[in-house]
Amino acid sequence: MAQTLFEKVWNAHLIRELPGLNALIFIDRAVLYELLGPPAIELIEGDFEGALYDAARVIAVNDHVAPAKDTSTAQLALQLRTWAKKRGVRLYDVGNNGICHVLVPERGHVMPGSTLVCSDSHTCTIGAFASCAFGVGSTALAGALLSSAVVVARPKVMRITVRGRLQNDATAKDLALAVVAQLGFKGATGYVLEYAGDGIAALSMDERMTLCNMAIEAGATTGMCPVDETTIAYLRGREFAPRADEFERAAAHWRNFVADEDATYDAELHIDAASLVPTVTWGTNPGESSPLSGNVPADADAAALEYMGLEPGVKLRDIELDQAFIGSCTNARIGDLRAAAAVLVGRKVRIPTIVTPGSISVKRQAEAEGLHDVFQDAGALWTHSSCGACPGLSTGVLAPQMRCISSSNRNFPGRMGTGGRVHLASPVVVAASAVMGRIASPDELESLVTA
Amino acid sequence: MIVEGKLFPLDRANVDTDQIIPTRYLGAVDAQGLGAYCFGGLPGVDALYAAHPDATVVVARENFGAGSSREHAVWALQSRGFKAVIAPSFARIFEENAYNNGFVLATVPGDAIERVFAAPFARIDIVNESIALQSGAPISFTLDPLRKEFLLGGGFLRYMASQIETVRAWEASARG
Repeated sequence: MAQTLFEKVWNAHLIRELPGLNALIFIDRAVLYELLGPPAIELIEGDFEGALYDAARVIAVNDHVAPAKDTSTAQLALQLRTWAKKRGVRLYDVGNNGICHVLVPERGHVMPGSTLVCSDSHTCTIGAFASCAFGVGSTALAGALLSSAVVVARPKVMRITVRGRLQNDATAKDLALAVVAQLGFKGATGYVLEYAGDGIAALSMDERMTLCNMAIEAGATTGMCPVDETTIAYLRGREFAPRADEFERAAAHWRNFVADEDATYDAELHIDAASLVPTVTWGTNPGESSPLSGNVPADADAAALEYMGLEPGVKLRDIELDQAFIGSCTNARIGDLRAAAAVLVGRKVRIPTIVTPGSISVKRQAEAEGLHDVFQDAGALWTHSSCGACPGLSTGVLAPQMRCISSSNRNFPGRMGTGGRVHLASPVVVAASAVMGRIASPDELESLVTA
Repeated sequence: MIVEGKLFPLDRANVDTDQIIPTRYLGAVDAQGLGAYCFGGLPGVDALYAAHPDATVVVARENFGAGSSREHAVWALQSRGFKAVIAPSFARIFEENAYNNGFVLATVPGDAIERVFAAPFARIDIVNESIALQSGAPISFTLDPLRKEFLLGGGFLRYMASQIETVRAWEASARG
């Protein structure tokens, strides 16, 4: 019988079915980090003598506030570090780290057709590799460390077919925002999003990760892209990917992780990539967005607008900004930094602008290409890699009513700091907006004299 | 198992996990101390707490618990003294976290949620999957059968530990 991509991965990991729609699913890899990992560590150390099913399946990363900014974050990082050493778990620590969802693929810790859980909702990023990767709470993570399995209610599968090519400054971020806007902030709850179509095949892995990263923002369990030669080329030569002949054998197996032609889906959505335009959020969830050239809608949620200090009908281009942030697991990979740098080259930013690479590898690659000079010549701050300003913990926390345009994934009230206002957009829109000091698209800069 | 209490009416959709417990408290405050900051990211919550000082059952709109995987959202609610949340829908990870901590969620759609909002008090019968308000017919809801076991037995991790041999046997045969 014809199978969806999701079904292929699910069936290959189904240990047994359980009451209701639940199943016990084998987990190939568990990832944890300093902020939400320690409660899982305490559960298994406290009640189960720290037993791990297989330490080799576990990856630990200090990423959210790395290096630590105060005593409590230092204690969390120390707890993760001490535990990882004691239990023989591979640890990516300060100096050799990155945002876990950026680092795990770039080091070759994910294989197509595999399952992965992490105590972070943006784990869906890794579904770009045709894996079933999703966020779980600390207790479920403890269960996965203990048994290499999770209990999960079988999700429905929605196919999102993307046709055509992105153009005119529209990026994978705008595609992600379009998906969330069309489905709504909770519209995909209970679903896995399975991406398909030539519009997906045309995307780089960096772009596919941006797209899958925001599946959770529509409530989806995860987002998945089929394997193709782009996937395989990305993984070839990665530090922990299979080597030489073993890689070719693995790749032959990975090529199975595409949907069968006549697979049937619980729901369908079609998107024309060529019709997409640069998009910016005006509200307090990622589904509340409009074309950058448009206005705050007349029927916009009043509570969201009150928080954001906006009125219906306001032109997005008239919104003045206090800060710009390029970073996060959504948009801090090398492709994102190249695109932002191309906008900033020879220009100056008008507002404090923070650029935080997604990993140490991304940082070093960017520096090898001179991108750090472009950012710093433009007057932006080039930081170490971490989750940075996105979760409102360090390197760019907002004050109340401060307005930031951000390449991250969440504009919730208080997300980047109590009372702070966040507009989500692509890295190129963030860069253009930093130059203008207001929400702006890259094409607006063409008429400016370069610095 | 019965959970009952005065209602805490949170007339908002999409109360996300950052609003339930802002990120800056994660790991900075013990789970037992998170209650002091429960709904710390929700605009206007102080007035609600003042108006409903001894409420223990939250009633909210759609998509409660959206966003992050932080189990601290459940711990903050528990530490604040809340015993349950009644809403038309919940985000997946929050829902799993609640069950894994023995915290009751009741999914009540459409018109019935309006009745809950209008009521001062609710009595949730977990075993019979039914909510009694002060007046009117009881409202039924559905719990996932396995999660209900975890809720009543309180033993999610013990269950996972009991599966280890099954998992090893599966891995040996499926992965050879």
